[in-house]
Amino acid sequence: MRATTISDSARPILAKGVRLQIDSTTSKGVLLYPEGIVELNETAHQILSRCDGRTLGEIVCELAEEYEGDSNALATDVRDTLCDLERRKLIEFK
Amino acid sequence: MTAPRPYALLAEITYRCPLHCPYCSNPVAASLCEAPRRPPGGGYSNGELTTEEWKRVIRGAAALGVLQIGFSGGEPLARRDLVELIGCAHETNVYTNLITSGIGLDDDRLHALCDAGLDSIQLSFQSDEPNLADEIAGARAHERKLDVAAKIRAARIPLSLNLVIHRRNIDRLPQMIDLAETLEAERIELANVQFYGWAFLNRAALLPTRDQVARAREVAMAAKARLAGKMDIFYVLPDYYETRPKPCLNGWGQRYLTVNPVGDVLPCPTASSAIPDLRFENVRTRELDWIWRESESFNRFRGTEWMPEPCQSCPQREIDFGGCRCQAALLTGNAANTDPVCTLSPKRTVVDAFLSHTNLSSDHRTDWTYRVNPRRLAI
Repeated sequence: MRATTISDSARPILAKGVRLQIDSTTSKGVLLYPEGIVELNETAHQILSRCDGRTLGEIVCELAEEYEGDSNALATDVRDTLCDLERRKLIEFK
Repeated sequence: MTAPRPYALLAEITYRCPLHCPYCSNPVAASLCEAPRRPPGGGYSNGELTTEEWKRVIRGAAALGVLQIGFSGGEPLARRDLVELIGCAHETNVYTNLITSGIGLDDDRLHALCDAGLDSIQLSFQSDEPNLADEIAGARAHERKLDVAAKIRAARIPLSLNLVIHRRNIDRLPQMIDLAETLEAERIELANVQFYGWAFLNRAALLPTRDQVARAREVAMAAKARLAGKMDIFYVLPDYYETRPKPCLNGWGQRYLTVNPVGDVLPCPTASSAIPDLRFENVRTRELDWIWRESESFNRFRGTEWMPEPCQSCPQREIDFGGCRCQAALLTGNAANTDPVCTLSPKRTVVDAFLSHTNLSSDHRTDWTYRVNPRRLAI
């Protein structure tokens, strides 16, 4: 799926076998999956911690409120991040 | 130098295994030498760590920063306390992976493992073709593995297939990828055999020819493109045919540690057999934290200071870390040498001579020595 084609009503969730947790060594977010680890930056962590059934639109709204940034640019960032994570099979869309 | 934090522990909880694959990376000596004596204070009569000792290792690893534990062996299902150990790892918030032949995984055991918090399973296959698969395994195992794969699917645990690729099965790569598709695996690891342990002993019978390797690479790359987004294909290169060494372990003592069945802590699972002049510490006498940070075995090849030329001045030294210490030891007699797979290594001739023999000689060895189990197995 291309980033621009992800609809606002899509609901990203963690893929089967993927776990999001806080790495107690760094206090940062980390994705754990079969034989792999991704250490997350703050933005990716904020996005992924909302991938629990919320829609893409809701996630963008919440992040826009929290960061008071340009919501169009933010929406693009979120779409790009989700697209990359989907390509790596770490999330899927419900 | 300061030790980084480790990310993953390979817990080799037993060397016992119902299969006899001639490419097993377990140390040959574990089977051929006298097994260690029963430890003072009790425990397994074949020297294996007890349940409580393993739990201490698991908790110690989590405290060090380990995020993933692979339970391996031998066949980890041969340990009756596997469910308990997985449960202990789950309690420490570590991600768990069971690396198994599948033999011994019935419904009850699988559900108990799921309930204990097991996160994923890597199931080995020897081939897609039952007769060849059983011949390689030295046991009637293939049909049971198919049954186990279906059980794992039904339990909805992520499934990876692992196939070790060598001269006898490499031409069946397309069919082996089909098998993984049929079994609906999320991931397949097509691992060209790496020559350690039993595989090193059997390498003349296992190394594929250059033509076989070239064809296999094309098949793997095409399948990777075709199955993108559906199944991940992880292709482990046949490093004797490469010109630069693999970045083994992402550097010695950087990200990984292994604890073997008797409690020796190793920077790499094959180090104890490949590097005889390195003394490894044991969890029965030292804390895991100290071993990781302070021990001579973990510090010997940490970083880049130990490197000889041509590594020391090589722009790739932080990319491949000089390759594999075990391979350097096995092929050149000195673990501190550049991995001789590297064409810049003065010892590359050792690898080339072996490749020439495989590719030019008509006298291919086809017989191999099957892996045998450690002695004194009664627990």
